[in-house]
Amino acid sequence: MFKLTRYCTLLVVMVLAFGVAAPGLAQDGENVLIMARAADTTGLDPHTQTAFASLRLLELIYEPLVQLDADLNLVPGLAESWEFSEDATTLTFNLRQGVTFHDGSVFNAADVQATFERILAEETGSATRANLLSIESIETPDDYTVVLNLSQPDVPLLTALATVNAAIASSDVIAGGDFATDVIGTGPFMLESWKPEETTILNANPNWWGEGPFVDGIEMRVIPDEASILAALRAGTIDFALLNDPLIATLLIGDENIILNRAISISYHVLQLNAANEPLDKLEVRQAISCAVDRQEVLDTASLGEGQVIGPLTIPAYMLPLSEFFCYEQDVERARELMAQAGLEDGFTLKVIAANAEPPTALSEAQTIQEQLAAIGIEVEIEPLELSVYVDRWLAADFDAAVALNGGRPDPYTMYARYWTRGGNLNTVVGYIDDTVDQLMAEGQAETDPLRRLEIFSEFQKHLVEMAPWVWLYTGYEYTAQQPYVSGFIPMPTDSLYSLSQVRLER
Amino acid sequence: MLRYLAQRALAFVPTLLGVSILIFFAIRMVPGDSIVAMLGTEAGMLSEAQRAALERYFGLDKPAIEQYFVWLGNVLQGDLGYSVRHGEPVLSVILARFPVTLELALMAVIIALAIGMTFGVLSAVFHNSIIDLIGQLFALIGLAAPNFLIGTLIIYVLSVYFGILPNSGDYVSLTEDPRRNLEQLIFPAITLGFAFSASVMRMTRSAMLEVLGEDYVRTARSKGLREHVVVSRHALRNALIPVVTLVGVEMGYLLGGAVIVEEIFTLPGIGRLAYNAISQRDYALVQGVTLFIALNFVVINLIVDFVYTLLDPRISYVKHR
Amino acid sequence: MSSIANSLDVRAKEPGLFRRLLRSRSGAVGILLITFYLVVGLLGALGLTPFPPTEQHPERLQEPDSTYIMGTDLHGRDIASRIMDGATNSLRVALLSVALAGTAGTLIGTFSGYVGGLLDNVIMRIMDVFFAFPAILLALLVVVVLGPGLTNTTLAIAIVYMPIFARVARGPALAVREMEFVTAARCIGIPHWRILLLHVLPNTLAPLIVQVSLALSWSLLTEAGLSFLGLGTRPPQASWGVMLSESRGISEIAPWLMIYPGLAIMLGVLGFNLLGDGLRDTLDPRLRGRR
Repeated sequence: MFKLTRYCTLLVVMVLAFGVAAPGLAQDGENVLIMARAADTTGLDPHTQTAFASLRLLELIYEPLVQLDADLNLVPGLAESWEFSEDATTLTFNLRQGVTFHDGSVFNAADVQATFERILAEETGSATRANLLSIESIETPDDYTVVLNLSQPDVPLLTALATVNAAIASSDVIAGGDFATDVIGTGPFMLESWKPEETTILNANPNWWGEGPFVDGIEMRVIPDEASILAALRAGTIDFALLNDPLIATLLIGDENIILNRAISISYHVLQLNAANEPLDKLEVRQAISCAVDRQEVLDTASLGEGQVIGPLTIPAYMLPLSEFFCYEQDVERARELMAQAGLEDGFTLKVIAANAEPPTALSEAQTIQEQLAAIGIEVEIEPLELSVYVDRWLAADFDAAVALNGGRPDPYTMYARYWTRGGNLNTVVGYIDDTVDQLMAEGQAETDPLRRLEIFSEFQKHLVEMAPWVWLYTGYEYTAQQPYVSGFIPMPTDSLYSLSQVRLER
Repeated sequence: MLRYLAQRALAFVPTLLGVSILIFFAIRMVPGDSIVAMLGTEAGMLSEAQRAALERYFGLDKPAIEQYFVWLGNVLQGDLGYSVRHGEPVLSVILARFPVTLELALMAVIIALAIGMTFGVLSAVFHNSIIDLIGQLFALIGLAAPNFLIGTLIIYVLSVYFGILPNSGDYVSLTEDPRRNLEQLIFPAITLGFAFSASVMRMTRSAMLEVLGEDYVRTARSKGLREHVVVSRHALRNALIPVVTLVGVEMGYLLGGAVIVEEIFTLPGIGRLAYNAISQRDYALVQGVTLFIALNFVVINLIVDFVYTLLDPRISYVKHR
Repeated sequence: MSSIANSLDVRAKEPGLFRRLLRSRSGAVGILLITFYLVVGLLGALGLTPFPPTEQHPERLQEPDSTYIMGTDLHGRDIASRIMDGATNSLRVALLSVALAGTAGTLIGTFSGYVGGLLDNVIMRIMDVFFAFPAILLALLVVVVLGPGLTNTTLAIAIVYMPIFARVARGPALAVREMEFVTAARCIGIPHWRILLLHVLPNTLAPLIVQVSLALSWSLLTEAGLSFLGLGTRPPQASWGVMLSESRGISEIAPWLMIYPGLAIMLGVLGFNLLGDGLRDTLDPRLRGRR
């Protein structure tokens, strides 16, 4: 049995080797922030990438002229100050001096001009161009002044620039570089390496104009499953994490060893009705659906009550009390009456598309709505789709109803012009437009007086809710979680990670 | 011999061509193209001209058939295309991931062979004993437990009882840090090896039982050779042949099909690469990876054929066919 | 005219394929497990679950107790009910896909082998294309192309396993084709389809039956695997694979999320494997012990 014994010995040795070779995977004490998230960056061009996961990385590397603070107020970014002309047709920026790009070149007005020209050029394929179309010409009277001449009054333009999609890139790269490889911004962190679906390594920018960063770098890991991210947090193998699924994030509530950060989001969960399709083209039917839905119950079931029921505008400054909206309290009786008025007392079948796990709450929301609408005879058929397939059908308006989590914008006009203006890029997806809405949007775009703008958009919201092309549901939280020794991070309603520049590790 | 192998290799060309055609058109039939996969709903904000520009960028502006022939022409010149998502040539993306998969597969096979053959030989030698029974039970469980169950279980046991987290998304390659690399790969390898060890065990056992009853083994015994010599030198050698087939099939599977285990353990291998490429509609990468996986299959088949002849001189390819 | 068919009849009538199967240890245990699985699946199909399988209760991650005998999941859904619903779904996928793959594969294989020559060659080359991928990856590709869901998962699994049946059926067809009684049958003018049906097909039955049982277990595994990756059964419908996948990371806090679906998959697969072993022993003693 000699040979056999040898086998057995080999086996034992292997088992022992594995036993020994598997010590805890403890972190070394370096001053590098290790963070994890479920989705990875999809590309490195700040002007064309729109996936949230990409923005989260790129906003650490590239910076726009203006930034948003945690209350969505505009604060200086690469521009120190700015000014609209009286009639809102010119916008002047005074640029920050002494800023350098990661390659050492100096930031000035030429970079701003080159950047905006790049975004506006159609061959770039930048989705953000649609928000910048009013820019007619760009002047640079000196190295640190940029004047945008607008074709029409466009107040929301300023907030539309407060995104990494309008971040300033180096004119050298724009002229002859490749955005996929020459990742050169002005931001607090510099890209060291990006291994897609694995890790991204960022180094602190020692020449950053702001105060910080206080860590030597960031290691971003992709762990595709959020529950595993949670496990990694608990095991202490990561310092910081982005979480999307409220069901997972709330497991951290009451955990003494992990800090869960919550910021109420400006993204909103919504049931989109395609008002171009029968029978949703009937106002009564849409209103009936709006009355039959118990928004709070949807929030409670799908997101465990993590968030708040809202109207169309999720920007705190523009939010209205819910009592001002049409039928925001569930009213099944009224819903039935409306159905009867539309001649549909017997109900109908409504097909609802939902993306699988995008957001993680989508199917749960669809299910709850399914139960609620059954009360007025509407039989909801849920169609769960892979994300890309969902988006494809959504863009083609190939659905009757869709459960969606739509991104919010810090300005009401930028947020909804795409949907509710004549000629808005995504108006076909909505299938609804009327004069009041179109008119109010136009006024809101031109109005410079903040109080008057508030009035305009209040009316806009109330009108939309009453016309019920969509059933707005709620906003949830943007979740991040961190070890207690991580300090200085400010959770943002936009989910931006820009404040990682202020983070310190005190292990 | 060589001529035979060459013939076999040639016979695989139509297969690979079929694979490439199938994948090329299948992936384009799926709703949601590269642009939608990258931009999401923001794709709707693009103007016609912008969309056209992006289509040019992604190489989608020509009819699919034309795209295919362009692609095929490039492949024949060794150019698998460019992965827009990774910002790198497809080939280098694949080659960067392949070592992970290869290493994982080899480790899994070694583990499976060590466990499976040990149990198999013991079961055969002590036929119908308690050892045999235990071995058989083990094999049954191994065959019935899917690897994602074993993987989840292993992670559970490790994290709850040992405080180790084997899926932290911080893969290190063998060249960077061999020790940590082995630490990271050992558990996924056990996961993959477990089920396979059951197959190996069953195969070894039955082959051994068959061989142990044959004439030449009896002759060897009657010549007075000691039992372990009989077992190791005569019986085992012959029992190896079916095991080699098994290893071949399994390697083919492991070199592309370990998607789930790579996903569970967050390993950047070929399987996950293929899976991600599909969901991101990275057409060039999907085509490249699937072709690569199919090629692996083919090559492994050839190797298995070759090893056969080494193990069993009775098999000669010159006479047949 | 139909000596083979007759002999097959005799074999089927010979008291006992079933009884002999029961007499083999693995066959008996296999049948037991599968019966249990079928009963659970049937109960699920009839809606006789303790709770509606998609109903969300306020008690999330509830430990198994007298109300929720297997506990509840992250959404507060009853695990036991979902296991039963999962049994129904996986059975449906397994039975349908194997029926599809078996029928199509057998027909193609038998035909190909019987016809032989260039056509046979071409057909088998096409089958080779499907063999050039690991099964799970091929299934994954097909599901992505077709879209997820029970029906498409069924189709995907059928497409993946069809070539295996084709290969299994082709061998005997190739052999029978050379046999004298077939030549004889052709000489006396019996049409091809009758020869195929009455002489060729019956000869492929024994290996095919064994194959069916194995395919059922693979199909079960593949469905679970696809669902684990989120590509199989559509949520909120239950699938054991989805349930296992949902247990990831939180099984530490709620091990029941992993244990019950895991057991369900293992017992199901074990049942079909054992039945396969039993069938092989009973039908074809020569293959005894092989896998």
